[in-house]
Amino acid sequence: MSEFLANIQLGLSTALSAEALLFCFLGVTVGTVVGVLPGIGALAAISLALPLTYYLDPTTALIMLAGIFYGAQYGGSTASILLNLPGTATSAITCLDGYPLAQQGKAPLALFVTAINSFVGSSFAIVLVMGFAPLIAGFALKFSSTEYFSVMLLGLVAASTLSVGSPFKALAMVVFGIVLGQVGTDVNTGMFRFNFGILELADGFGLVAVAMGLFGVAEIMANVGQASGAPMGVKGMRFKDMIPSRSEWKEIWKPTLRGSVIGSFVGALPGTGPGIASLMAYAAEKRLSRDPSQFGKGSLAGLSAPEAANNASVQAAFIPTLSLGIPGDAVVAVLMGAMILHGITPGPNLINDQPAMFWGLIMSFWIGNLMLLFLNIPLIGLWVRLLSIPYRLLYPAIILFICIGVYSADNNVFDIYVVLAFGLIGYAMRKFSYPATPVLLGFILGPLLEEHFRRAMLLSHGDLTIFLQRPISLVFLLISLMFLGSVFMPGLRSKLVSRVRRNAPSDDAD
Amino acid sequence: MKTIFSKGLVSAGLALAIGAASMFASPANAVAADSYPDKPITIVVPFPPGGSTDLLARKIGEALSSSLGQPVVVENRGGAGGTVGANYVAKSDPDGYTLLMGVTGSNAISAALRDDLPYSPVTDFDPVSIVISSPLVLVVREDSDFKSVQDVIAYAKANPEYFTHGTPGVGTSMHMTGELFGLESGTKLLHVPYKGSAAALQDLLGGQINAMFGDILVTSEYVKSGDLRPLAVTGTKEHFLLKGVPTIAEAGIDGFAAFSWQGVFAPAGTPTAVLDKLYTAVSAALETDALKEVFAQRGFLVEGMNPADSKAFIASEVDKWTKVVEAAGLKK
Repeated sequence: MSEFLANIQLGLSTALSAEALLFCFLGVTVGTVVGVLPGIGALAAISLALPLTYYLDPTTALIMLAGIFYGAQYGGSTASILLNLPGTATSAITCLDGYPLAQQGKAPLALFVTAINSFVGSSFAIVLVMGFAPLIAGFALKFSSTEYFSVMLLGLVAASTLSVGSPFKALAMVVFGIVLGQVGTDVNTGMFRFNFGILELADGFGLVAVAMGLFGVAEIMANVGQASGAPMGVKGMRFKDMIPSRSEWKEIWKPTLRGSVIGSFVGALPGTGPGIASLMAYAAEKRLSRDPSQFGKGSLAGLSAPEAANNASVQAAFIPTLSLGIPGDAVVAVLMGAMILHGITPGPNLINDQPAMFWGLIMSFWIGNLMLLFLNIPLIGLWVRLLSIPYRLLYPAIILFICIGVYSADNNVFDIYVVLAFGLIGYAMRKFSYPATPVLLGFILGPLLEEHFRRAMLLSHGDLTIFLQRPISLVFLLISLMFLGSVFMPGLRSKLVSRVRRNAPSDDAD
Repeated sequence: MKTIFSKGLVSAGLALAIGAASMFASPANAVAADSYPDKPITIVVPFPPGGSTDLLARKIGEALSSSLGQPVVVENRGGAGGTVGANYVAKSDPDGYTLLMGVTGSNAISAALRDDLPYSPVTDFDPVSIVISSPLVLVVREDSDFKSVQDVIAYAKANPEYFTHGTPGVGTSMHMTGELFGLESGTKLLHVPYKGSAAALQDLLGGQINAMFGDILVTSEYVKSGDLRPLAVTGTKEHFLLKGVPTIAEAGIDGFAAFSWQGVFAPAGTPTAVLDKLYTAVSAALETDALKEVFAQRGFLVEGMNPADSKAFIASEVDKWTKVVEAAGLKK
């Protein structure tokens, strides 16, 4: 225990230095801004900022880059709530319930709640990083492709019910997403699939381009030609508009905690990320809810769980990174690159070899998250004011930001065509009321399912029973089965009931 | 310091001589080369920032910009294993202002493996210099029963396609090295491709696969921590980051050698004088302390080949990997 306290002290002495505080603040501010701006996400921002950190002390550089990463998760929900445009690809799910809340005039409340969710989710995961990083990382190593497949299957099953409206349209859109995910390089053979000879498609469509097209560009196109006014009339905002009532707090806290747990679990598994975390958290919440019909209409639970989950996932992604040297997701992989540039090779010895850096970084997470909380709450008033900007100024600016965001990922103009094409597709989908979220779901989970299924088959030499032989995999398959059961059972029951009822009157008639 | 100075003088003299020679051969080039560079130079890194290629390009870029007196901008154009960025440079103007930091995959293996590349790694580039090479290391888990290369060969002979090795993907130098190992030892390993080396490393540490032909620097951390055991390096001599580890050739496969490498490339048709001016600047850069530090830290072996040697080297690499691709039946 005293060693633990000494470590915390060591971390604080690093993270509280003037330089570290300054760069932490810089990082979280930049993170908030890129999070708020649609299209420019953490990955693009960190890739752009990385070369600038070559001249900084490694710990300071990491504190700043990590700040951009988790700061973006705070900002990401702002545009989702206010404009129905995801600020980052991973906050697309926040549109589902956040935007309806804003339409009901509860934008300040929704923004305040997401700031709290984000802080709770982050804090939960930071505690895990501090106390149990090596333990959790060891558990994550037990996950082979077999287990990954079963987890992803659970995600797909759980999330397949997450949209409102026709289940057949939703299913069709999941399949459409999976088909989109087939474009790219076949992992097992290295063959280019469905790229039509276009080298830029050899890595498939980018998640940012797909999400920003379907959600962002499509939303803007749908609003073009409407009255030339501003998105929503905003009157003077009072502080108490932000604060949830007692009953609203009650509605929030459980989903926030569940979202934090799911997010931490998903984040600690290398190769996943905040997108999957928020999808799964949303799906779980909808399943557990007593009144799932509220989801998609401005449910605070549907807002809270994914927001807590994406922040928890981002912080938990540091668990495998710092204790094993294996990046939790694509953005952390770039952070790891930054460490190597600075002469620190992340590996299993990092915590012991670089205690000042490890604990300094962890303590900076606390400081950064506190800064974000205090940065974001006063900013709510400012963001809400964004709604009074007229469409004719707001939308061209957003389109520009989206183009810059997708371009800067790989400095490739082709990606701009991709995002615009997905904008057209998304617009058509709206016109015929096909939901976009299931597309994203199929697009994210489909390729992972395939990759892990095929690798599991490769390693087991084609033995399908491998999924049942491994206990962790078996558990996840059983949970998936339970989910399926809970989806069909009520339907089945009501069908039976209605059949009995239909039979009953006919009996009477007889 | 003295050696650096004298070597710099020699290469400068050499460049002058070559420059003079090419002046006679083609006056137009000489004019271009005289004023070159009179605007910023871009080095395209065909990967996202943060990788070893990015690091090397930025360090070389810094040195070039101070010796050539023009800013050198590093531009990351990732995608498709480096081929997107390579294709971009292949189609750029051959004026010496757009260069590529090319690697084994983008500038040799892809030529052997793919018919559907929109560029030719052999005919579409004029190499400036193959800058560094880096052997791989065959590693297993510390608690593995495989104690030597001979153990691996014996097991793989008795159980074809059951010795699993993970790689960052089809057509990477890790993959090709595994195939070469199988061919030269008369065995058949089971290739398990991942999306990136971190995922493969994760499964190696978790005991899901038997081995990896891994990056020296990254794996040496796990060797130090006692998680992984190195069996052999793929180079021709002992590596300074893994002292006491034999080469695969020493461990029983005669003549085995496989490297990954990185180099600076210009689009084909770049004036010889420009190439030579660049080569002079690059080879001077390799002698700077900043670069030496990178080499020592990253485990790179300095090559610094001149344009002609580099061109011959690329041809020999393409030839070598084409044979492996054909013998292993990997052609797509």
